[in-house]
Amino acid sequence: MEAIVEVRNIKKTYKKRKSKTYVQAVNDVSFTVNRGEILGLLGPNGAGKTTTIKMICGLLEQDSGTITINGVNNREKRLDALNNISAVLEGNRNLYWRLTVRENLEYFAGNRGRSRKEVAGRIEELLEQFHLKSKENELVNRLSRGMQQKLAIAVAMLADSEVILLDEPTLGIDVETGYEVRELLRDIVKNDQRTIIISSHDMDVIQDLCERTVIISDGKIITDDRIENLMRLFEVRSYLIRLEGSLSEKQQQLLKQKFPHHQYTEDLAQATLDVDLAKSEEIYELFDILKMEETPVDSIDRKTVNFEQIFMKIVKEAKNGALAQSS
Amino acid sequence: MVRWLNLLKANLRKEYIELKRYMPNTIAMVITFFCIFLGMFAGIQLVGDPGSQDVNTQYVIVNYIFWFLAMMVMNSIGWEITNEAMRGTLEQLCMTPMGLWKVMITRLISTTAIYFFIIVGLLYVSMAVTGQWLNIDVIAILPILLLTLISMFGAGFMIAGISIILKQVQAFLQILQFILAGLTFVPLTVAPALAFLPFVKGVDLVRNIMIQGVTLSEITMGDFFILGFNAVFYFVIGLGFFLVCERIAMRKGLLAHY
Repeated sequence: MEAIVEVRNIKKTYKKRKSKTYVQAVNDVSFTVNRGEILGLLGPNGAGKTTTIKMICGLLEQDSGTITINGVNNREKRLDALNNISAVLEGNRNLYWRLTVRENLEYFAGNRGRSRKEVAGRIEELLEQFHLKSKENELVNRLSRGMQQKLAIAVAMLADSEVILLDEPTLGIDVETGYEVRELLRDIVKNDQRTIIISSHDMDVIQDLCERTVIISDGKIITDDRIENLMRLFEVRSYLIRLEGSLSEKQQQLLKQKFPHHQYTEDLAQATLDVDLAKSEEIYELFDILKMEETPVDSIDRKTVNFEQIFMKIVKEAKNGALAQSS
Repeated sequence: MVRWLNLLKANLRKEYIELKRYMPNTIAMVITFFCIFLGMFAGIQLVGDPGSQDVNTQYVIVNYIFWFLAMMVMNSIGWEITNEAMRGTLEQLCMTPMGLWKVMITRLISTTAIYFFIIVGLLYVSMAVTGQWLNIDVIAILPILLLTLISMFGAGFMIAGISIILKQVQAFLQILQFILAGLTFVPLTVAPALAFLPFVKGVDLVRNIMIQGVTLSEITMGDFFILGFNAVFYFVIGLGFFLVCERIAMRKGLLAHY
């Protein structure tokens, strides 16, 4: 598949306000996005997602590294690169609240040098597609948050750029509108052949829409993989073991050493051991611990994990790894 | 060129829609300005020298009309940038492949074009209230006004640039309106060097036309040279300064989150 967005070794450092110290917001980040792909950009707060997105949009200049959009270097030929990209960065805040729905669409098209006549047909299509036709003459400040969000996406769509960046597209909207936005985005990728990069905290949105995800933590990429691969990987690694007896003190000590993030609970009827394995071979070490006291095993099940849990685990492991390295 | 024209039409339409939709705000602003003028006029009538009352009133009319124009062109662009950054729309404007400076220049032209009608209206109302009818020689005023506006746009770009990178610019913008008042009210005979400031020479020449009845042919080449020099100098410097500020903002991440 052909890459339409190529991010190579970008770095960005900010100076802290009223201080002489610097913060490395993005540190040597590289990834590519293929034409027609929906990529999820994930990370905890302050991980560097928005900084990365703004550098792709050309709103923020990287200290080093290159970003090319459809083969155009966005630092050397910023305005040419912007022909290939549009974005919804702050949802409803990206709109003029004193203008109507239609006026916003027409104004932003005009800002790209297009006449009202030229975009009239496309605006009609978008109003229909985004179910905004009945609200076309309504002032934006009188619309619901969900409608404003849909309009912001419609404005980005009107640019007819190949790449669309969406920062938190479902933030602050109700569940029903959230589903509607998801359907719209799915429809855009399927029928309009656009490439979409979504940054979101809503794991359901990412899991539902994206084929691949890049997870950033502390300014670095910690995972770049297809979502189904991550799901499979973590499904294999997470086990729920029901025991007929309880574990001895010695066994519990060993478990703490070998599997520091395990969870062990026991009640009168049963004990359960919830454990994630870093490698599949570690299951033998787990069995060795159980075998040393001949603890009877009732059942071993692969745990069902959702994408949110996977995300949490990846970030936690990365942070623990970084801590171990620094100590 | 067509894209330029479409950009200008879009911004002209936006400015017009907002002005019309929020007409009470516009009316309140014009009334406030007119009250300031009435205050000045009353001052001349009450404490001014009776021998020079008519001339002083004529001076005040021209000066305050130009002050209003300078405020609309130069000060409002600063407020607009600040508001756009706070609202979150500045980043969207920066993402246009036309370039932010082109959006800004069309905004400046649109604001000037729309407020021009209000200014002409204010001028005639002021003349009617005071009974001082000035010489409106359009042929002589127009070229001077155009060159003066170009230098004002340059200064407007500088203010827009400062507004992008400085978050506490509101305080400066408040002070700026008094600086602009000072520059429009000061006669060049008092401080000739001020002729090289963005619009002072233009105001002085328009005063000569409207009050003393000077014609276009009576204006010297030297005067036009200063006007032309100011127009080119301030526009180029202003635009260059704006582009540098835009670059700084992109380096430091100052385009949003006021």
